[in-house]
Amino acid sequence: MNGARSRHLRALSAALACGMLTTACFGDGDGDGFERLDVAMAFQPVKQMSPFSDDAFLLSKLGVAEPLTRLNEDGEVEPLLATSWEQVDETAWELTLREDVTFHDGTELRAKDVAAAINYAADASPKPRALAGVDVEAEASDGHAVTISTGDEDPIMPQRLSTPELAILAPDAYADDPGTPDPAGAATGPFELAELSGSAARLEAYPDYWDGRPQAAGVDVSFVEDAASRVGGLRTGEIDIADAIPIAQADTLDDGQLLEIPIPRTVGMLLNNTSDVFDDPALRATAAAAVDSDPVVAGVYEGRADPIDGLFGPVSDWIEDRPTVEPESEPADVDGESITLATYDDRPELPEVASVVAEDLRAAGFDVDVVVRSFAAMESDLMEGAFDAVIGTRSYLIETNDPVGYLASDWSCEGSYNLALFCEDRIDDAIANAADQTDVDDRTQAAVEIEAEILATNSFVPLAGEHARIGVANDVTGVAEDPVERVIVTAETHVP
Amino acid sequence: MTVRRARRGTPGAIPVPAALRGPLVALAACACVVFTVGALPWLSGRDPALTVLRARAAEREADPEALESIRDELDLPGDPLKGSLQWLSGAVRGDFGVSWVTGEAVAPSLAGATGVSATLAALAALVAVVTALLVLTPALVRAVRHGRGAGRGVDVTGALLASVPDFLLASVLLAIVAVRWDLAPTSGWSGPGHAILPAVALGLPAGGLLSRVLGGALAATVAESWVPAWRALGFGPVLMVSALVRRTLAVAVPQIALLFAGLVGTSIIVESVFAVPGLGHMALEAVLAQDLPRVQGAVTILVLLGLAVGGAGIVLHRVMLGPALEASGLTPTVAVTPPSRRLPLILGGTLALAVVLGLAGDPNAIDLDVRMVGPSLSHPFGTDALGRDLLARFGHGALISVGLGCAVSLAALVTGTVVGIRGTRARAGVAEVLNALPPVLLGVLVAAVIGPGLTGATAAVAMVAWIPIAVHARTLATEVRAAGYYQAAIASGASAVWLFRRHLLPAVLPVVARHALMRIPHNTLSLAGLSFLGLGAAHDSPEWGAMLAESVRYIERAPWTVAVPAIGLATLGVVASLVRTERS
Repeated sequence: MNGARSRHLRALSAALACGMLTTACFGDGDGDGFERLDVAMAFQPVKQMSPFSDDAFLLSKLGVAEPLTRLNEDGEVEPLLATSWEQVDETAWELTLREDVTFHDGTELRAKDVAAAINYAADASPKPRALAGVDVEAEASDGHAVTISTGDEDPIMPQRLSTPELAILAPDAYADDPGTPDPAGAATGPFELAELSGSAARLEAYPDYWDGRPQAAGVDVSFVEDAASRVGGLRTGEIDIADAIPIAQADTLDDGQLLEIPIPRTVGMLLNNTSDVFDDPALRATAAAAVDSDPVVAGVYEGRADPIDGLFGPVSDWIEDRPTVEPESEPADVDGESITLATYDDRPELPEVASVVAEDLRAAGFDVDVVVRSFAAMESDLMEGAFDAVIGTRSYLIETNDPVGYLASDWSCEGSYNLALFCEDRIDDAIANAADQTDVDDRTQAAVEIEAEILATNSFVPLAGEHARIGVANDVTGVAEDPVERVIVTAETHVP
Repeated sequence: MTVRRARRGTPGAIPVPAALRGPLVALAACACVVFTVGALPWLSGRDPALTVLRARAAEREADPEALESIRDELDLPGDPLKGSLQWLSGAVRGDFGVSWVTGEAVAPSLAGATGVSATLAALAALVAVVTALLVLTPALVRAVRHGRGAGRGVDVTGALLASVPDFLLASVLLAIVAVRWDLAPTSGWSGPGHAILPAVALGLPAGGLLSRVLGGALAATVAESWVPAWRALGFGPVLMVSALVRRTLAVAVPQIALLFAGLVGTSIIVESVFAVPGLGHMALEAVLAQDLPRVQGAVTILVLLGLAVGGAGIVLHRVMLGPALEASGLTPTVAVTPPSRRLPLILGGTLALAVVLGLAGDPNAIDLDVRMVGPSLSHPFGTDALGRDLLARFGHGALISVGLGCAVSLAALVTGTVVGIRGTRARAGVAEVLNALPPVLLGVLVAAVIGPGLTGATAAVAMVAWIPIAVHARTLATEVRAAGYYQAAIASGASAVWLFRRHLLPAVLPVVARHALMRIPHNTLSLAGLSFLGLGAAHDSPEWGAMLAESVRYIERAPWTVAVPAIGLATLGVVASLVRTERS
């Protein structure tokens, strides 16, 4: 608490000093050492680094905070702060915690701290995405263990617990404001958040990290929104690791400076089932047939994406068992129907994709109007179905490495992210059935069967499977290649 | 009527009205913008719970549970008035509230961002003044040696500088100075070195604009009767130069003040290119998230700053002119630039030819096989990232960009001249308030009301475009009113209409008309800035600003994609600067 207050005081005095045009107008120098890492992230913290926001991903990518479990490269759950777990009855899971874990303030991680952290997250505003729609209550049980009870049976609780938003922090972090916990000095990762200012953060290695002393002395984080600046910093050597390199700038990096990781995120065109034009399955079939995704992958994505055949991409090996798709209708002739094709520019490639797709549709006889805005500016219009077609990108494993959750939010009548305004009772039933499956393989099998049914309606036109791109200076080793984009800096990351 | 107003002030008194009326004007202005901002969710029809959720978690599904918990947490105001009243009553006591998105107190983060922005704006203003004086040096020499005003060289250099978009300059400086030459840091704000590139990116175009204003002022100054007299008396060059600079700066001081106040809020894109944690960027993010306490805090600071700086400019102008402003001191005559026919014809002709050739092509034909191909016979200007012909896009874009730029300038000229000449009491007012608000913020507000698009963007640009014209006209009119012939006309019973038509308008209009002409590229640029942020031209539109925004990512791989619209803007700027508006 004192730390927070003195931080405010320092910021205030620096601001006052600015009136006199002194160097205090600038933040502190970064004191470049040999073993520190300079990392440029694409997004500013949005909520003072609280894990109950997108800042959770910053904490996790930078190796500051850790949840109870993690997902490995194949998407399987692995131990992190919990070493084992077991479904003790239909509505309860018991997790055994790792011994000898300490928070950055030196206090030991206790079962009651973990239980409290989970309960705070369940009360957060908004509730973490991984817990949406799930009633959760955690309690410390005998030994070094925690019991998590759920309202209904929940087969994927260990997956849910891997989300960065469920990072475990020391009790002090919640003392000031339980809705906005302060991770400074209170998390368990290899690096401790020492200082946070407007456009930079300073992390120090935590020598007592449970998995061994980190190999870098610390991390200097800058939040650089402009991709050209991040890439430029990497090229001049100011930056060791740069997150989120857009395709337009990927070519300016040397070979070996670009880490490309295929991720479970697909780009596609969603055809609005309630639109005057695309409520007709035959016109949907026409549109789907008109769009050629190869030039999109080869041209707009410059080959830095994968061709896809459905909602799910090749990074998920379970799509091998896909049933064949049997389209419901044949394409019909187009009679100059006008459509509005919408996309958002938060991902720089999407507007270009929209231009290419629009030309394909025009060639098929549609009269196409393209609308591009920021996602935030068009979200309510998108959700209400104001456009005939939407080009979007979506992470289909969302928080839990479970495609069923994605199908429920994107393809069920009541789904909260149903951009196609798709609503078929049989699909709703199939999704509900899939959600009841307790075996992970059964769930993915159910998912590809539902996928085939959705594709048969031509409501989704597959375009590309995305890659994550991280820029890494040539001499840096140990950067994590995480397909769910949750980890970048680890205890092993360093400059040899 | 004009006369009566002019007479109402006590001539010769120390300029105190601003001090007396200042706090009232400031309070009214702040309340006005605070209430406008407070009504944002109602104007835009967007649910603040949703925008706050989006700011906190970009991909979190907006299920009713999540929205409800945010509403409970924030205790969102039920009507546009209540929240703003609450905020104002707190703000008066120095409590700027708590950010809806971050849960942080607004005041400390606002103070930090204001410090950064003010530092950057001051440095940029310094760069601008130095640039302007450097551009003017040859003209000063001419004035001292030959007693002639600024020449064409000054006009062309100034116009070229002024027609470079700051966001383009930022990207070019980043790619060349920071990355290629490694002379300055690429991003951040942790030492004086970090301020150089952003200050240059903001300051150079502003300096170009300023040199044009100063050039006009210098020409007018040189035409004043005291100059030949001093020359004839054999005053030394040092004395002459310092007198000329002082006299010229006096005219331009209100413009410099406007420039500084404007820079504080307009540097949004430059701030984001160089990752500078400034006020403009913070305000934009807050507007998009409808984080009302933060927006209200930011606009209040911007308005107060604008009023303070604008007021200071006016006072300084009075102080610098001193007693000369009182009746009979100055006799400004209309400046005459040496006629130049050939250059604008050649440049304008080339531009027109390219436009005509471009209009024959299809600006939207995509060919992914020829992405980013350099200039060649089949594509004289090259192709862009989607393989579209840049010549065709250039031609079609010219119609939109130049057309709208001209339309805005014409509207600004009419409004600015009328307001400027009528506004006899020189004090900070509506103009300074509007000037201090970044066009982008206005753009967002307008877009919230009438939806995003070129119409809204044009309206937003027009809302601020008349201000520099009005301030310029006001400055000139003030001087005309102080002139002996004007006083003589009043004494001999001239009517207000006569004074306006025979004395004020002929002295003011030609000069501000040039100013308006020279601002055409500037208006085109402002539109481009809005298009850059998705608030202006529609996607795929060949509007030059939209073209720049699309290609700036490819600046290193395909420089021609950026160069084509940039050269268009520069040519437009130079042609506009050379067209004559004065009667010779």
